[in-house]
Amino acid sequence: MDQDKRLLICPENLHEGMKLGPVFYVVKPEQIEAFARATASSNPLFTKNSPAEDQIAPPTMRLQDYALLIAAHFYGGSGGVHAKHWTEFHAPMRVNQSVKTEGRITTVERKRGKFYFELEYESRDATTDELLVRQAIISVLLLEGKIA
Amino acid sequence: MSTAATNLGRELVSKPYLLDAGAAIAYGESIESPPRRAPGVNIHTDEEAARKAGFQAPIAGGEQTYAVMANFILDSFGIGFLRGGRLEAALVKPVFYGDTLTMHARIADAGSPHLQLEVWTENQRGERVLTGTARVPKESPSGSR
Repeated sequence: MDQDKRLLICPENLHEGMKLGPVFYVVKPEQIEAFARATASSNPLFTKNSPAEDQIAPPTMRLQDYALLIAAHFYGGSGGVHAKHWTEFHAPMRVNQSVKTEGRITTVERKRGKFYFELEYESRDATTDELLVRQAIISVLLLEGKIA
Repeated sequence: MSTAATNLGRELVSKPYLLDAGAAIAYGESIESPPRRAPGVNIHTDEEAARKAGFQAPIAGGEQTYAVMANFILDSFGIGFLRGGRLEAALVKPVFYGDTLTMHARIADAGSPHLQLEVWTENQRGERVLTGTARVPKESPSGSR
């Protein structure tokens, strides 16, 4: 979505069924190595000398795609608090792989004064359409900086 | 996957992970590809924003704790986790910069084609900051594809 057409992120603008994305990127070796270092991992799968056929990305390296999807459609706000997350792993994400990620708002609800939303998103090989990862973030949206 | 790794009730424990400001900065830089355009002032970076949201100090992003748990499961059970595995977790307490986290996984059910795990992360005070479940295929496919 064009930046000028983005919506303010607020409960009134978040609706069940909203489609977000797609976003595209290439899995870079530098990111794999930086992410592994940041999470103190020494797993050889994340190195150039991986015992697998290719250097592969740490399991949640692209969990952050939710933020790309949100930022492509919304602006402003004061962020949220990550409450829950689930991830289904279908195939390893490999170095230099082109990936397409898209998502959908599956739930919005007010509960005990808090505004929750669930964004489900999946990443596929942009060339072959092979499903790599399906996941969802459940977040409490901060309203004027407050949880409730 | 070794037989020992699949014993019902067995508990695996990770090495400690120090989630200090340096680790948070390194993590933040590693995921900025492409840039996320996150709000510049937020509960992870700003004292006032954190207090306004009800926290005593800025908190670490929950996804970093989740990431270390996912790495721990992969390290413990192998690449099969990335082919049919699942992780679901609630971030039940805030993690503050300087906390030391330890990941735990207990085999709750070994009777199906998958291992069912109870997983949790404790801070240095023994408080659970993440709780959840995971599923790992018993047979790890060879190769990466």
